[in-house]
Amino acid sequence: MDNHNIDFKNIWQQQNGDQPDLKALRSKIISFKKSNLRKLLLCNILLVVASIFIVFIWYYYQPQFITTKIGIVITILAMIIFILSYNDLYSYYKKIDSSQSSNDYLENLILIKTKQKTLQTKTITVYFILLSLGICLYLYEYTRMMSLFWGIFAYTITLAWIALNWFFIKPKTVKKQNIKIDSLIEKVTLMKEQLE
Amino acid sequence: MNFEEIYKTYWQKIFRLCMGYFNDCDLAQDLTQETFIIVWQKLSTFKGNSNIGTWIFRIASNNCLRRIEVENRMPKSALPFDLKEENEASIEPKLNLLYRFISELNETDRIIISLELEDLKQAEIANIVGLKETNVRVKIHRIKEKLTQKFKDHGQS
Repeated sequence: MDNHNIDFKNIWQQQNGDQPDLKALRSKIISFKKSNLRKLLLCNILLVVASIFIVFIWYYYQPQFITTKIGIVITILAMIIFILSYNDLYSYYKKIDSSQSSNDYLENLILIKTKQKTLQTKTITVYFILLSLGICLYLYEYTRMMSLFWGIFAYTITLAWIALNWFFIKPKTVKKQNIKIDSLIEKVTLMKEQLE
Repeated sequence: MNFEEIYKTYWQKIFRLCMGYFNDCDLAQDLTQETFIIVWQKLSTFKGNSNIGTWIFRIASNNCLRRIEVENRMPKSALPFDLKEENEASIEPKLNLLYRFISELNETDRIIISLELEDLKQAEIANIVGLKETNVRVKIHRIKEKLTQKFKDHGQS
């Protein structure tokens, strides 16, 4: 087919957008940086504050039982693991070099999205297990001070809350995240195949 | 080349690339800006062993490709064509058609044809998308055939 009768290049280059001045771009750069950091900071601050709160309890109430102390440590550990993997994911995501060829870029994007999927699922599971264990151990000392009825009551409420998270909220969150990531991976894989 | 020069030289080119990819003026404007933010952030890491244009086009192409989420939300085929013409009454209909037809191609073809129409050498395009030069040549030929056919089907040639 003869495709030289339409001068695509000439038509193409008639398109012009309104180029904003450099000042506008500079202010965008600043707000872009800020919003990037904000989410990460917020997550970290929240978890650090929670950890400080637990350390404060340790000093203020001076727990006697080793179970309480282990409970506190496990709870903090759960949060630290969560922070670390979240930060790791973030830095990993930032590390994809956008100046590599599209072929390599798409390949890395698939790798990262797959890693993100595993990490999200694993992290959430580990976080929930450690947190539940920590809370149960921590509670022991204080329920010992209560009557049997209130002790059982406290544990029942706590375990019910953990069960609700474990059986409903966690699977729902994981599923929602995975559906989103799976469709992204699928789409990127299709694009990658276009280049093969 | 300092950032200001880069910004002046490449802004329209990157805008056209994004426009060819999405056929949406506002989105193209945003993505162009985003691309230059990345360029600004990464300029110090540019090693100079490749062409700065190749480097910038790689960033811009990858930035378009990663916007999968945007695309999923906004199926282009559902957009009525006349929607854009109010703002762009002075621009030839052929121009609108060309950008619309390009945005209907598959993602990587959109990038390849945009780079070709931007007058980049095929070796450079191959370098940007990560294909062999011969593949690029074949692809460009096929894409141009497709576009010509679309124009013909639309009663223009």
